[in-house]
Amino acid sequence: MPAKRPFFLNLLIIRLPVGGMVSILHRVTGAALSVAVPFLIYLLGRSLRSAEDFHAVADWFGTPLGWLILAGLTWITLHHFFAGLRHLGFDLGWGEDREPARLTAWLTLALGIGLTLLVAIGRLI
Amino acid sequence: MRRVGGAHRGIDMWLMQRASALYMALFLPIFMAAVMYCGAFGYAGWRAMFVPLPMKLATLLFVAALLVHGWIGMREIGIDYVQHLGVRLIYYFIFAMLYLACLAWTVAILWSI
Repeated sequence: MPAKRPFFLNLLIIRLPVGGMVSILHRVTGAALSVAVPFLIYLLGRSLRSAEDFHAVADWFGTPLGWLILAGLTWITLHHFFAGLRHLGFDLGWGEDREPARLTAWLTLALGIGLTLLVAIGRLI
Repeated sequence: MRRVGGAHRGIDMWLMQRASALYMALFLPIFMAAVMYCGAFGYAGWRAMFVPLPMKLATLLFVAALLVHGWIGMREIGIDYVQHLGVRLIYYFIFAMLYLACLAWTVAILWSI
C-alpha cells in the first residue's frame, strides 16, 4: 500500500472539466430543490386558496426579492432538469464518449442559463 | 452486508431515482404546455386546472415522485458527507418527517378545491 499520496483539494485552484462542473452543479441544484420543496408546496397551496392569495403570490414574484428568487429557482430547476436528461441518456448508453459528453455538458449549461435569462428578462418586460 | 444508515440498497434506489425522474420529465413539459394552452394565468383558470380528478392524481403523483427523488438524493449526499452514524440517522429522520408531511399537505391542498 502506498504510504502517502499527494492530497490536493483546494476548491479555488482545482480546474474542473466542464463535465465535472455540470456534475457538481447537478448535486448542488438537487440539494437546493430538496430544501425548497416545502416552500414550493406552500406556494401551490397559497395560489389555489383564493383570488387574493393568488395575486399576493403573483405580486410577490414582482418584487425585486421575489424576482431574484424566481430567477434562481428557474435556473436551479432547468439546470437540474437538463443535467438529469443527460444522465438518463448515459444510462441508455447515449453520448458516453468524451466528445459528445463534453458537448452535452456545455449544452446543459447553455440551455439552463439561456432559458433562465429568457424567463427572468421576460418577467421584467 | 446491510447496515443501518448504509449504502447497500443501491440498485433499488438507483431504479427509483430514474423512474421518478422519468415521470417528472414527462409531467413538467406537459403541465407547462397545459398552463399556456388553457391560459391559466389568472386565479379562475389556474384553479379550474386542478378541479378534475385525473389532474389532482397526476399532480399528487408528481409531488410523490419529487419527494422520492429528493429523498434519494439527500440520502446519497448524507452517505457521502455525513460520516457520523447518529448524525446521519437524525438527518434522515428530519427529512423523512418533513417529506411525509409534505405529501399529506399536498393531498390537503389538492382536495380542498
